[in-house]
Amino acid sequence: SNFLDESINVTPNNPTAVPPSVLLPTVEIGTAFANANEINRFASTIMQQTAGAANSPATYDVYQTNGADFGNQWRFELYGGALVNAQKIIDIASASNSPAYTGIAKIMKAYAFSVATDMWGDVPYSQALQGEANPQPRVDKQEDIYKGNTSQNIQSLFDLVREGLADLDKQSATRPGNDDVIYRGDLAKWRRAGNTLLLKLANTISVKEPALAKQVIDQVIAGNNFIRSNADDFNVTFGAAVGSRDPRFEYTNISSFKDDLIMSSRYLTLLQGLNDPRLPVFWTKPAANYVTWDNGQSGARPTPVTTWSRYNSYVTGANGEGPVRLLTNFQRAFILAESALMLGTAGDPQTLYAEGIRASMTLAGIPTAQIDAYITANALRGTQQERLAQIITQKYIAFTGNGLELWNDWRRTGYPTQQPAQNAVGIDGTRPVRAVYVSFENERNTNFPNPAPQSNVKVWWDAN
Amino acid sequence: GRVTSSDDGSALPGVSIQVKGTTRGATTDAQGQYRLSVPANSRLVFSYIGFETQEILVGNQTTIDVKLSSGTQSLNEIVVTAQGIERDKRSLGYSTQEVGASMIAQKSEPNLLNALQGKLAGVQISGQSGAPGASTNINIRGITSFNGSNQPLIVVDGIIFSNDVNVSGNTLFQAQSANRLADVNPENIESVNVLKGPAAAVLYGSRASAGAIIITTKNGRNQNNKTEVTVNSSYNVQNVYGLPRFQNDYGQGTNNLYVNNTTASWGLPFVGGPTSITNLQGETRPYQAYPNNVRDFYQQGSIFQNTANIAGGDANRNFSLSFGNTTQKGIVPTFKFNRTNVQVGGESKLNNGIKVSGTASYVQTVQGGTALGNGGSAFGQLTRIPRSYDLVNEPFQDANGQSIYFLTTANNPNWAVRNLTLNSQVDRFFGNFTVGYDVTKWLNVTYRVTGDTYTDRRKNVNNIGAARAPQGEIIQDQFFRSELNGDLLVNAKADKLFIEGLSGNLLLGNNINQRQSQSQSVYAQQLTIPGFSNVSNGSVFTSSGESSLTRRLVGYYAQASLSYNNYLFLELTGRADRSSTLPRANNTYFYPSASVSFVPTDAFKLQSDILSYAKVRASIAKVGRDADPYLLNSVFAQASFGNNLASVAFPLSIGGSSVPGFAIGGRIGNNGLTPEFVTSQEVGLNLGLFKNKVSIDAAYFFTSSTNQIFNVAVSPSSGYDTRTTNVGELQNRGLELTLNATPVRASGFRWDVTLNFTRIRNKVVSIAPGVTQSGITGNGFIGITSSIVEGQPYGVIVSTANPRVQNTNPNGQYYDATGQFVGQYVINPTTGQFAPGLAGQVIANPNPNWTAGLNNTFSYKGFSLQALVDTRQGGQLFSFSAADYRSGGSLYVTGIDRDQPRILPGVIQNSDGTFRPNNIQLPAQTYWAGLGGLASEGAVFDATVYRLREVSFNYTFPKEWLSRTPLGAASIGITGRNLYFFAPGFFADPEVNTQGAGNIQGLDLNGPPNTRNYGVNLRLTF
Repeated sequence: SNFLDESINVTPNNPTAVPPSVLLPTVEIGTAFANANEINRFASTIMQQTAGAANSPATYDVYQTNGADFGNQWRFELYGGALVNAQKIIDIASASNSPAYTGIAKIMKAYAFSVATDMWGDVPYSQALQGEANPQPRVDKQEDIYKGNTSQNIQSLFDLVREGLADLDKQSATRPGNDDVIYRGDLAKWRRAGNTLLLKLANTISVKEPALAKQVIDQVIAGNNFIRSNADDFNVTFGAAVGSRDPRFEYTNISSFKDDLIMSSRYLTLLQGLNDPRLPVFWTKPAANYVTWDNGQSGARPTPVTTWSRYNSYVTGANGEGPVRLLTNFQRAFILAESALMLGTAGDPQTLYAEGIRASMTLAGIPTAQIDAYITANALRGTQQERLAQIITQKYIAFTGNGLELWNDWRRTGYPTQQPAQNAVGIDGTRPVRAVYVSFENERNTNFPNPAPQSNVKVWWDAN
Repeated sequence: GRVTSSDDGSALPGVSIQVKGTTRGATTDAQGQYRLSVPANSRLVFSYIGFETQEILVGNQTTIDVKLSSGTQSLNEIVVTAQGIERDKRSLGYSTQEVGASMIAQKSEPNLLNALQGKLAGVQISGQSGAPGASTNINIRGITSFNGSNQPLIVVDGIIFSNDVNVSGNTLFQAQSANRLADVNPENIESVNVLKGPAAAVLYGSRASAGAIIITTKNGRNQNNKTEVTVNSSYNVQNVYGLPRFQNDYGQGTNNLYVNNTTASWGLPFVGGPTSITNLQGETRPYQAYPNNVRDFYQQGSIFQNTANIAGGDANRNFSLSFGNTTQKGIVPTFKFNRTNVQVGGESKLNNGIKVSGTASYVQTVQGGTALGNGGSAFGQLTRIPRSYDLVNEPFQDANGQSIYFLTTANNPNWAVRNLTLNSQVDRFFGNFTVGYDVTKWLNVTYRVTGDTYTDRRKNVNNIGAARAPQGEIIQDQFFRSELNGDLLVNAKADKLFIEGLSGNLLLGNNINQRQSQSQSVYAQQLTIPGFSNVSNGSVFTSSGESSLTRRLVGYYAQASLSYNNYLFLELTGRADRSSTLPRANNTYFYPSASVSFVPTDAFKLQSDILSYAKVRASIAKVGRDADPYLLNSVFAQASFGNNLASVAFPLSIGGSSVPGFAIGGRIGNNGLTPEFVTSQEVGLNLGLFKNKVSIDAAYFFTSSTNQIFNVAVSPSSGYDTRTTNVGELQNRGLELTLNATPVRASGFRWDVTLNFTRIRNKVVSIAPGVTQSGITGNGFIGITSSIVEGQPYGVIVSTANPRVQNTNPNGQYYDATGQFVGQYVINPTTGQFAPGLAGQVIANPNPNWTAGLNNTFSYKGFSLQALVDTRQGGQLFSFSAADYRSGGSLYVTGIDRDQPRILPGVIQNSDGTFRPNNIQLPAQTYWAGLGGLASEGAVFDATVYRLREVSFNYTFPKEWLSRTPLGAASIGITGRNLYFFAPGFFADPEVNTQGAGNIQGLDLNGPPNTRNYGVNLRLTF
């Protein structure tokens, strides 16, 4: 009868099919949001760029982290956000012969998976994102995620990126435009970003797997199509209004948690020691002097809170625009400098190192003369390890505001060398070397080890 | 005539007199007098609760004086059962329980469900808090559905009445919304009948699988051609009750240092400490304890209720009018609950045999609340006030109206209760229209149309500076809900069916149902003008939205009842439903029930002075239940990321252009859903002892719910959160017992006792293949999940548990071959704290072991005293408040011997795998924090509580005093509610339930506290 027509039960509230163009912004913003939100509060704090003045950051600062942390990042930003929607774009766009979308989605998917595995180590990968077909995906080894494993049917992250790059070269029925909030549909820039992502992934495993890393980097250098100008940076730009802003702007300037973070005294000491002109660009100084806090310090916080040094507009944008810098020209230069030094890939470490500093300082708006002076004063010197320490330290400064990159580099190389926080407790008083699996996943997926590995158990590529 | 008591000759007012076989009747007045014109040779039935019913043949008599003898309690009562069918209670093969007006009205309580607490066997009612209008949860005979509503169906005067809780936003943070039964004025209720099992309620179909509550409002029946006006007024005050005891020796700080931005009281002692400190604002304050800084934050609330009823008519025509007003002010400034009810009703029997009746009601309910919960709300902070912070007298806002507080992540509670507000105004109409026709003596056809509709217009204002929305936001929400029902009822009866003594009744029915709801919200963010609470003040509206639901159902039902010599009864029912919410192939489903009742005392003439009455009964029933709308497909939704730390919501505004973004919804749809079923078996026994001075009603039931429509949790790494499917089995078995007794009745003095007892065991038998636990749908904090877990009762709380020594798995962690330390906590040898926890463990069971209520009523002449005590035994509460108070060092116990080191209970594993007792000393702060933070088993407490729920004392003025006034009757009384509780396992009141009515129970997530109410009331009849 009409009274019980099937149309009665068709939801008027949600679409059941959408074009890829409304999923792409979700993927891009979700990836940037994951990087810049709680993961950055955690990683920038334990990496002593920020200090925890209250709440979670204060806990992180004394090395306490557990499965209750990063639930949102795992559930809503990565797996249930950027990743599953990237997969959906791949499915929809494959069916509609739009490899421009699948190519971008594969690169984004590889980037977001690298965030997941760098944070948590072994994670669901080859069987993830399949919905009902696999409600409890297997946990793949990080080694297999990076290197691939044919017998287990695991595609390496490198091959995933390469597949995406290949898609970008195909004819596409539809192409992204303004829905691509990163490059506005410029596929040439996407190719450069994809190749630069290969460099980043190779760099991450370079201590554990130097030969493979060298092979990948050599190949990218030979292809000669990677980010080599700041204008090509793989940046996600946010907006200036409520609900559109970079999370770092929100949680340092707007939200009720804005007084959780303050500049670390140790970071101030480092940059002042180097006489680094980027300091006032990266950080605010509302009072006569920088007001900072030592990592893990207890006692009454500096007053009033309006004097605290916080992320400056270089990091957050003047009104929350960001950008979140996911792959950059300076990063590429530092990676090639490190590879040239440690793996013997093409190029001169000092030249590439200077290129990295110059790229960073140019972004920061530092005058050329000051840049030249700074590069001269901080030229690479000493043993291979000392030079590596310089490269990583400069990368650490340049990447201010992207805590995950700082934490990855420190775990790989041990640089920059830092003293433990005051009052450090945590699992054994040492700085975390992995994020603990979110308890939600433990509750729902019996493939996860329970109890989960604690924060003092290294991930596979952390071989130093 | 006049009706008196055979015990002491006193007049019996309110005795019901009915002309047998008709609806004509009358009631006695205060002197026991009555007047009724009847055809000759009628039989009059005199019935009165607590007395034996008498039948008298009128003959030629013009005056019939009757003496009723006491003892018969609730044995020959007429009760209203499903679809409004009136039945003799003895014929029922299932359990029902009636609560009369005297146990509901004038109880210092404007919410009917709260007024029923402790009075019903088999029914669990839990209030949320003392916030006005806060929703109350009710479950009858346990939880029968994993995911669906487990609230019973509410029927008011035949109208299916929505008891929904419409939640604006997130139940973890938002002001508490009312359950919509709060729109009913308890003062206008004649009786409440609870149909407990599916067998009792099967005629209502799917929605009564969790039982039904049949509410009858006051009407004008039996007014004997007289018009009567009754006025009730009451005034009560309300005070905060149940706060814990605090320490007053140490002030704000951590690690024995003063810290200006901490909520903790682990700072310096007051004795020997500094005399003054500098606060976060840079100002100097004396350093001292403020012992009442939390208690004095609250103000005294009040409840002022007025109701007038006008009723008149006779057995053929009657009318009623009711007007009620309730004005409640709560214990914080924004709390309020104002309700105005108007109802008209009437019925008329026309000369041509057609009977028409109808009621129409209008209610306006205004509720005012404030944000609650963990985080920036007032109640989230009140559990974290340092002992040295003068909450009452410190300025709470600056010249710009912005909050001043020692913590910048939250608002000053005094600011929050004034600037984070949610106001709701419900305008509700409901009514019914019934027309019936006696086709022949044995055949009646009736059609009934009922409607219930409301709009709830809400304004949620978070002023500029709100912790959760620092730039301010205004959310204008509008909920609309409507339900229409049409029921055709064809009723045939036969007095002599085949053989002498066998009578029968056959009912055929058809139900057409439509439910619609719609909500629209205008979400204005980033406000510009302080204090201007209009959405035009917003700059960003991207989170605005709408949602609509429509569902329809057509049902056919039949009931056949047989009675043999009034001592053996059989009833068979069946119902077939077609629902719009299921896939076409599976959307028609049938379910039957059968029940028998047998009265051996009548059948075998067994009555004696000891055993006056006995009845055994049994029933078996199955009820099908459809899905919620729109579960068949997977959908996409507008995307958003983040929480109160930082968030983005599409469409984003980037560089001046708007970027839309959608994402896969978290739920995987299912196009093959089938209905879920609840089957129930019940056996029961009714006994009347000692001339029915004692009566007992006992029931044992077993229900099994299968094929549950449930959103099973899937691993988040699958890209989804849940998938909708038919799964699992849930069982309830329970015992309920009601005992009524009148131990003393002599020379005008009477003592009545009612005892009820409930014990329900619920068990999740299975969930889905490969799934042993799954979260219950609703808002929750990560790491604290109200869940279903195989082998456990429904609703257990899953969180991270401290690991314990075990000797079951030699290859597992913490294995103790000696068995000596099995079960003890494992301590981290480096830190002296508990070893890292195991995720996904059951840490609390919110279901009580058993509950009981004991009501005593003493009456003498015009005086009556009633007192209700009840208890809940066992079950657990997960309390954020407790974790705050204790780990923050403000609880009394944390101040004792604070300078002494302490050792957490547990053992340390040696390098050879053996264990030794923990001997690592910790400072008090580390110890108490280690004992239980927010997401740990340390926040779990025993919820056992004993409560003096209700006391009322009434005096009815003697008739002769009123003879020179227009008054027919007058009484005055005092009542008190929640006067005292004792909770041996918790340091505050465990009867709190922050998320209100729904399937998530047992969580105290920084909600408002409970209150103690008392006041006076006056009742006048003209």
